[in-house]
Amino acid sequence: MKHLTLIIVLFTSFTCLSQEKFSISGTITDANNGETLLGATVYLKNTNFGATTNEYGFFSLTAPEGDYALVISYVGYQTFSQNIQLYADKKLDFELQESATSLDEVVIIAEESEVVNIKKPQMSVSKLNAQTIKEMPAVLGEVDVIKSIQMLPGVTSNGEGSAGFHVRGGAADQNLVLLDEAIIYNTSHFFGFFSVFNTDAIKNIKLYKGDIPAKFGGRVSSVLDVRQKDGNNKEFELNGGVGLISSRLTAESPIFKDKGSFLISGRASYAHLFMPFIEEVKDDKISFYDLNLKTNFELNEKNKLYLSGYFGRDVFNLSSLIENTYGNATGNLRWNHVISDKLFSNLSFIYSKYDYNIVLDFIELDWEADIVNYNIKYDLGYFVNNDLTFDFGVSALTYNVNPGEIRPSTETSSINALKLDEKRAFEGAIYASAEHKITEKLALNYGLRLSSFSRLGGQTMTNYLNNQPVVYNSELGIYERGEAESETTYSKSETIKSFANLEPRFGISYQLNKLSSLKASYTRSAQYLHLLSNTSSVTPLDVWTPSGQYIKPQLSNQYALGYYKNFNENTFTLELETYFKEVDNRIDYIDGSDLIGNNNIETEILSGEARSYGLELLFRKNKGAFTGWLAYTLSKSEQRALGGNAGGPGINNGNWYNTYYDRTHDISLTGSYKLNDKWRFSSNFVFQTGRPVTYPNGQYNYEGLSIATYANRNENRLPTYHRLDISATLTPKRKADKRWKGEWVFGIYNLYDRRNAASVSFSQNNQTGLNEASRISIFGRIPSVTYNFKF
Amino acid sequence: MYRSLIFIALSLIFSSCEDVIDVDVNTAEPRLVIEASLDWEKGTTGSEQTIKLSMSSPYFSTDTDTSVTGALVTVTNMNNNTIFSFTDENNGTYSINNFEPIIGDTYQLTVVYNGETYQATETLIASTSIKEINESIEGGFDDELPEVNIYFDDPIDEENYYLISFYEIGDMFPFFADVSDEFVNGNEVYYFFEKEEDEDTNMSPFEAGDTVEVKLYGISEQYYSFMRLLIEQYYNSGNPFASNAALIKGNCINPTNPENYAFGYFRVTEVDVVSYTFE
Repeated sequence: MKHLTLIIVLFTSFTCLSQEKFSISGTITDANNGETLLGATVYLKNTNFGATTNEYGFFSLTAPEGDYALVISYVGYQTFSQNIQLYADKKLDFELQESATSLDEVVIIAEESEVVNIKKPQMSVSKLNAQTIKEMPAVLGEVDVIKSIQMLPGVTSNGEGSAGFHVRGGAADQNLVLLDEAIIYNTSHFFGFFSVFNTDAIKNIKLYKGDIPAKFGGRVSSVLDVRQKDGNNKEFELNGGVGLISSRLTAESPIFKDKGSFLISGRASYAHLFMPFIEEVKDDKISFYDLNLKTNFELNEKNKLYLSGYFGRDVFNLSSLIENTYGNATGNLRWNHVISDKLFSNLSFIYSKYDYNIVLDFIELDWEADIVNYNIKYDLGYFVNNDLTFDFGVSALTYNVNPGEIRPSTETSSINALKLDEKRAFEGAIYASAEHKITEKLALNYGLRLSSFSRLGGQTMTNYLNNQPVVYNSELGIYERGEAESETTYSKSETIKSFANLEPRFGISYQLNKLSSLKASYTRSAQYLHLLSNTSSVTPLDVWTPSGQYIKPQLSNQYALGYYKNFNENTFTLELETYFKEVDNRIDYIDGSDLIGNNNIETEILSGEARSYGLELLFRKNKGAFTGWLAYTLSKSEQRALGGNAGGPGINNGNWYNTYYDRTHDISLTGSYKLNDKWRFSSNFVFQTGRPVTYPNGQYNYEGLSIATYANRNENRLPTYHRLDISATLTPKRKADKRWKGEWVFGIYNLYDRRNAASVSFSQNNQTGLNEASRISIFGRIPSVTYNFKF
Repeated sequence: MYRSLIFIALSLIFSSCEDVIDVDVNTAEPRLVIEASLDWEKGTTGSEQTIKLSMSSPYFSTDTDTSVTGALVTVTNMNNNTIFSFTDENNGTYSINNFEPIIGDTYQLTVVYNGETYQATETLIASTSIKEINESIEGGFDDELPEVNIYFDDPIDEENYYLISFYEIGDMFPFFADVSDEFVNGNEVYYFFEKEEDEDTNMSPFEAGDTVEVKLYGISEQYYSFMRLLIEQYYNSGNPFASNAALIKGNCINPTNPENYAFGYFRVTEVDVVSYTFE
């Protein structure tokens, strides 16, 4: 409450001061295709008055009356300048021309324009434009959003072939992944080899590793905000690419007499077309496709509508054993409304769904599960004056989780039909935050989010003896399911359990001199939805579950400190950050937990905690023929679960243990060198500590088999992971009057054919009966070639 | 199951490779292992029983003789207080020829070794019978390879747990499967066993003349939990899509020194044994 009062006081005091000042507001777009530009800088030359555009390209700048030179700059675009007489509020829209040399200019932008970066209190954020991602070498010729953010410090994958990503020692389900504001529940195709984001349809991505703005909530580790392109509103444009594994085609065009535009983009893999010809996989099928749609319509100067959608599917058939399909579907209708030259608003209606279906032919079973949510959000931006801007809004979100419906797939099947209880929940939030420049050197970011969560009725809950869903059997020294005592049936109008949390967010920046600054931040956030997974790699079949009677919301505190410096007129930048993060109520799984088809998940879990800390270094070269960065992370990520209500010492004897995504050292090096107009070369190098695993510490003979014994969780590690990728892009010369523009991308993944262990398995040799360790490495050296075109 | 299949599929589709490597592992202190499986085969008296005692050893140890001799082994029927004393055969096995199995009775095992006493308690669980056994080609994982199928009726009024073993005469190891009636309660349940060609492990598909011995055990829920974990870990160790390896504790406790419990398990089951020869 204190914070809110503070905000109100500041709010009123500053509105009073803003007399005899006028505002300039408007939208900044790309002159070639009409795409709005996020993060462009607008300022009045030789003054301190400036602003940056928001996610919809809107800006508002307030200054005392007078004559000024207005300058607009955005990396990769020509700087635009215009004299203005500011004696009344003005509405001005601007178009920026791409700079002719844009390709050998900066394409890597950590956050907005570099100068603003140092001054702004926002820290721990990385922004990548689609162009940057496209220039990095990628596996199998397909460039990838998730793979590219894993090159940043503090972000890692959980090994080849595992879905999702991990931020600052957080779990994959602790990332809020948004595609045009809609939640994406599974970010991967092909079990993690590709992400669901088609870079041809993406404008930019923003990853908040910490210092999460108050307008975001619901996850405790990070926010990945992915924005789709709006579609070219100047002329028809066709983009595409043909690769070995998949191909893409994107069409964009103005519609409604230039009052709007649309983009439609499709991508599909076709490796499965060749599979019938390969003996080992002739009966198998693995494929994916996705569709992106975006359209917008300008009702008038002050009102604009956007409609965006995504639909993706994966199909995975393994001979006659298994047929599996899964995918996300999202939709979002948005209304941008400029209330005044200082007040911008956006209302969104968002739909999001993830579902999967699996048919196991050999036991004649058909399984379906899904999660659906509807979300209404109203966000406002109030540009009070040059030193103060406000963001505030409300959000209402409903969840409907169907954890599984099992049916016999044939008439002769021995499977009984079973439907696990559907789970319903409501999540509401209000927030307000301010970005506030106190002095020329000192700026603050402060905000507060109040979130609430209600687990709704419409299901039956089990009550346990002594209220213990899990009980410690002290005689055998193991955790067991509690004894069900009775059941309580809640009607749809009842609430099973409610939670509310205050989530303060705070950031501060202090400019040491023109080229360097210090920043610090604190973020508290709550997460009400949990992904149930007792394996080291997330699978498409893992089920989300809402908090309730037996599962408490995860709560995190993150503290971060950073130092930033620009060298040689922003040719080089250095970012150094350190963080400490703690998460309460992290679910942990008892030894031998069984989550599949389980209606009473509470009997398999204990409530634990997680903590992580680390140091991140990012050194970038932003300009010149050679651009790229070096990222190094030194970190630790651990968790533990004490027995608590269940009794006993807890999981792993109640000791802290490494999470699966703990990486002591993580080095990523990425670079791009432009030789001439025809050739460009890129390279990635990754080196990181091996994934924590549990190796056997003994064996004994039982039923004629050698049975391995284990001690503490994750006390061993896979061998160190490292890999080098290279790619070369050839852009053939073309006549200036030709619209067709093509390029060839040749790449080699894992150039020196490192056999990185995806796993080490321990088993008994069938012939000798002796134990042995086998390493499975998934990717050897993989060459690829892709042809991209633009028309 | 599904999760292991993902891993197999990924390995097949991408240019993966598997090779044997040297790995350093830790070594725990040796611990007593009790393999006390009192199985009453249908159609027999069940009077002859054997219990095996051994010590655990380092994971890569090739010393196969870890047998334990000189222990005192007794089993008590807790319902009628009959005590059965097992004879030390001096080779790690302890045997008896007058055991009396009674369905539903509770038995307690006591092992005294090196001044420590180990105890375990179990109830004799009845098993249903294998009502049919046959072979087919079309079913199973692969539609072109023969498999052996078994069929049995699951009783509807109770929770049932089964352990099934398939053993082809001449093979080095049996194959185990754990089954619960969670999704199939009261139905006719079928299970199959198929062998695939695998040059690395010298495995070949079934052919005419091959004989398979199938055992269907009725087991307790606690033993089911033990075997489910043991089987999952045995066949899926290291697979990132399988649940993580952990210590599996059985029911052999050490009441005076709980930390010094024994590995293994004391089970008392009824088992139906059927053999099938491929045609």
